[in-house]
Amino acid sequence: MVATSNSGKQLAKMKIGSKGHVSHFTDCCMACKLLSMGILPGTQIEMIRSAPFGGGCYIKADNLLIALRKSEACCIVVR
Amino acid sequence: MKPALSPDPEPKIALIGNPNSGKTSIFNQLTGLQQKVGNFPGVTVDKKTGTLELSNGRHAKLIDLPGAYSFYPTSKDEKMVVQSLVQPGNENYPDAIIYIADVTKLEKHLLLFSQLKDLGIPVLLALNMADVAEQEGIQYDLEKLSRKLEAPTLLLSGRTGEGMGKLKSMLVDLLDEAPVAPLNSTKYRLAPEESKIINQIQAEFPGYTPYQLVLMAHHVKWLPFLNPNQKALIEQAISNSGFQDLQMQVEETMQRYDQFTPIVQQSREKDSLHEINFTDRLDDLLTNRFFGPVVFFSIMLLIFHALFTWAELPMNFIETGFGNLSTFLQNHLPQHWLTNLLTEGVLAGFSGIIVFVPQIAILFFLISLLEEVGYMARAAFMFDRIMQFFGLNGRSVVALISGGACAIPAIMSTRTISNWKERLITILVTPFISCSARIPVYTVLIGFVVPPTKIGFVSLQALAFMGLYLLGIVAALLAAFVFKLILRTHETSYLMLELPAYRLPVMRNVWLTVWEKVKTFTVEAGRIILIITVVLWVLSSFGPPGAVKNAEMAAQRSAKAKNLSADDTQDLVDAKMMEASFAGQLGKFIEPAIRPLGFDWKIGIALITSFAAREVFVATMATIYSIGHQDDEYSIHEKMANQRDPVTHKLIYSPATSLSLLLFYVFAMQCMSTMAVVYRETKSWKWPLIQFAFMTGLAYLSSWLAYMWLS
Repeated sequence: MVATSNSGKQLAKMKIGSKGHVSHFTDCCMACKLLSMGILPGTQIEMIRSAPFGGGCYIKADNLLIALRKSEACCIVVR
Repeated sequence: MKPALSPDPEPKIALIGNPNSGKTSIFNQLTGLQQKVGNFPGVTVDKKTGTLELSNGRHAKLIDLPGAYSFYPTSKDEKMVVQSLVQPGNENYPDAIIYIADVTKLEKHLLLFSQLKDLGIPVLLALNMADVAEQEGIQYDLEKLSRKLEAPTLLLSGRTGEGMGKLKSMLVDLLDEAPVAPLNSTKYRLAPEESKIINQIQAEFPGYTPYQLVLMAHHVKWLPFLNPNQKALIEQAISNSGFQDLQMQVEETMQRYDQFTPIVQQSREKDSLHEINFTDRLDDLLTNRFFGPVVFFSIMLLIFHALFTWAELPMNFIETGFGNLSTFLQNHLPQHWLTNLLTEGVLAGFSGIIVFVPQIAILFFLISLLEEVGYMARAAFMFDRIMQFFGLNGRSVVALISGGACAIPAIMSTRTISNWKERLITILVTPFISCSARIPVYTVLIGFVVPPTKIGFVSLQALAFMGLYLLGIVAALLAAFVFKLILRTHETSYLMLELPAYRLPVMRNVWLTVWEKVKTFTVEAGRIILIITVVLWVLSSFGPPGAVKNAEMAAQRSAKAKNLSADDTQDLVDAKMMEASFAGQLGKFIEPAIRPLGFDWKIGIALITSFAAREVFVATMATIYSIGHQDDEYSIHEKMANQRDPVTHKLIYSPATSLSLLLFYVFAMQCMSTMAVVYRETKSWKWPLIQFAFMTGLAYLSSWLAYMWLS
């Protein structure tokens, strides 16, 4: 579940408004934290908007609203 | 194993849950004003405890542990939860646990619950937000849920109070249950490495459940209760078994989710209607890339405007009240230095503390309202990138805004910032934000620098006021940037913030927060202000033996010789007596150091007293310029406006000196209470001293430059 597969794109690169499902994570440490918050493989992700001043992203994970930095979103691969 | 629960005089119950689960509301509902905020010993994390009256008349101690997502903590707050629950002997180790989960997001809120079940402590599952569930059409088969999750379950609402009675009676049942056999298993399948570790260390830790032993292996590096031998034993077991911290975490977490997620889904009778909701629409505007910041700054302006307008009436009321009391006492008590000590020392001290309460209460009321409603999380999200540039965290925004009231509670609120460097920098720079104590100083001095003219609707002085605030903010950010470059850390920094749905504020929570913050200010800052005011009175009333008396007589002779009026004579006498007192001597002593800034020895006295607390500036000025009981900013301003240098006859409070003094107060660290809190939060005197040095250094420099430039 933490792998470096080639299909799917990083959450940080998703277009605003697009949806997908979490495929896997690319960093073990981040994965642990994201898992405990409720972002699991299979969770439906919707990219809602990015922050002002070039900041992070505002996403919907199932029915949770979560703010992530780009560096945190990079570890999530979405299909 | 836990001893059988006899009617324990006061069983300990812990309140645990995710952040945003509404735990605070439940705590407040259960304890009301019967709560107090203290400290976890050795750690600077707020420990909220309260007394809960159970349905059979017994009392229990309720401990509100910080919100956490799991036993794998990110911040100091979350570490507290682990610390308290891993060690059965710990003073916070509960007899029972109330686990609070948001019923509208149940699949996401049960990870910690699942972990708690492996501790062997009786757990009660409280599904909070029943009111929201009803609105959204969510319904659960509670009996099924309770059975499959193996915990008594109930539905309640921290907002409406629904279910509180049932909670209390279920707690009694939970506490009175016959103790079960000690827990020897875990809910998830242990990895072979974990089993190996358990086998190797369990002899050293009798009475711990297998999962507690696993947690100790994960957290061996920082758990404070392990002695060096125990640490060595665990680390040995880890290397023997091939234990991989992160991988085991992931494996365990996934297994737990796999277990309870189907249970939740199967017990759900009706799911949410999933309509586009209010929160999404509102966030379209409030977190919009352009309008988001615009709205934020508008809200900030509104808050500070409200602060000044709403606070005026109560502040005048308080000042007049104390003034009248003081006059009354002066008239009715015998003429004696003790009376003066009481009225000009102690009473003035109390007045000086209480007069700030309206501003602090109002600002924290508004901030707490924004927090309750869910807006502060959005602010943290929007400004995180900018904050990071300055070495801070999105969450630092709350501390910086709170600093506008008082830095003390602001600094204490940094405990939710997980990264040590970000948290330290926030603590170091927050005092640059102009706190309420600086406002009287600005009020008195601005008139000497900026004339009371208006440009259209806006007064020049109001603009100058805003300018001073802006200076504080800029200084905070620049100082943060410098520290970012100087301090080194390899620790990762996180935002990963859950944004709660917007909701109407639960006013009980707001009021209790305001009460707590005001209490913090009154006690922490109040102590120092009172002491300093009394010390100031002593230092300015007494001098080296005979000096004050001689000065008085010399002044009277001199006044007679110059044929001065009665009022002028009194002024001269008061001034000369002040000069001969200890306070005066101190002022004269530092005068050479402050001459380059345009300050004389009288201002020197004010600087000295202000170093303990800025709030005493006005009282000091009143003492120095002998205004007696008329110590409101306007009469002081008048008196100061007429002060002239005895030799050159130039105005003392020229624009140059006044601007210089203003800038000094904007930047200098003049608050012992803040330094004391910084010491407590950073556990070292190094940081408060560094803070004192750079803030006062900047103050001196800017004062000097301003004075050079304007004179």
